[in-house]
Amino acid sequence: MDERRVGSLSFRIDYSQPIYEQIVQQFQSSVVKGEIERGSKIPSVRELAQALHVTPNTVMHAYQEMERSGLTETRRGQGTFITSSQEQIEQLRTKLADVAIQQFMQRMSDLGYSKRDILRLIEANERDEER
Amino acid sequence: MTTTLEHQIEYAVKCLQVGKRYGRSQALCNLSLSLPQGRTIGILGPNGSGKSTLFRLLMGLSQPDSGHIEILGQRPSWQVNRDIAYLPDRARWYVGDTVRDAFRYAQRLLPGFSQHLADNLADVMEISLHMKVDAMSRGQEARLMILLCVAREVPLIILDEPFSGIDLLSRERIIECLIHHMSRREVTMLVSTHELHEAEPLLDHAVFLNRGELIMSGDADELRAHHGSLERIMKTLYA
Repeated sequence: MDERRVGSLSFRIDYSQPIYEQIVQQFQSSVVKGEIERGSKIPSVRELAQALHVTPNTVMHAYQEMERSGLTETRRGQGTFITSSQEQIEQLRTKLADVAIQQFMQRMSDLGYSKRDILRLIEANERDEER
Repeated sequence: MTTTLEHQIEYAVKCLQVGKRYGRSQALCNLSLSLPQGRTIGILGPNGSGKSTLFRLLMGLSQPDSGHIEILGQRPSWQVNRDIAYLPDRARWYVGDTVRDAFRYAQRLLPGFSQHLADNLADVMEISLHMKVDAMSRGQEARLMILLCVAREVPLIILDEPFSGIDLLSRERIIECLIHHMSRREVTMLVSTHELHEAEPLLDHAVFLNRGELIMSGDADELRAHHGSLERIMKTLYA
């Protein structure tokens, strides 16, 4: 696992997973957390490839994926920018939350809990935390 | 995404059922491969798996016993070789007194050699132009040899075991240099290695050979999605 900083962004690359997916995921989470402002410019393919020590093709693949999903937009001659649409970012947040819930539910179900058990456990956990 | 790209892919190298035998040893056996253009391709496998033989055939330095080879759309020949920067395994040639002399020599002899690019790369590789070539460490010399290849404005670069036997710092400098180069313009690179080390993120595509046979190949990120890191695949395949 390699950790690399690019400006204010920090990337962790794990070579046992597709690298382009990790780049996409780390941009998504930085945007949702507000670490990258909407409408702001992101590094060029070349800058990011050199900073992360990955191939430009990998970064290009990630950027194409981000543009396709509406997270970024490319302005000709100016570079790539995070979407300025708050709505787009809210949609992404909801989507990431869905994924997190599905993963959590899957893990709990692997441990043998039913949906009803899980809800009860969450509530019990909340009460404990409030105390 | 990948499927739509497939239709547009052009290949830098195509091998069809290539066989090569040296005496009693079968160096390559019925090898069929298509290597996409504009990518960095790792030719991976333990010593004796046929990596250098493959490169020698691509460069026309030896002839296959059977099968068909196409490189940059043509059969291997000295005419195509103008468009290829090739660093053979264990290459150490005399290139002059200082690094600057080596660049002058390259300017005269190597088609497409760019002085400007060489100066840039020397900076990235931390090689001073005044350095004496015969006073260089093994790692510095390896860096200079790679630099002389990479500083050529050619569509195809072939590096045979560029990381072998050199220190970590030199390996990292070389990787930085290659990434720097790839982000400058489109180039196809074939890089062979028997150990991945830090080269893992350098590869867009991987070809695994063993005893002259192809055992696995594909897009690096797709291989990672199915089997984990390329380094892990190597450990599993050659255990």
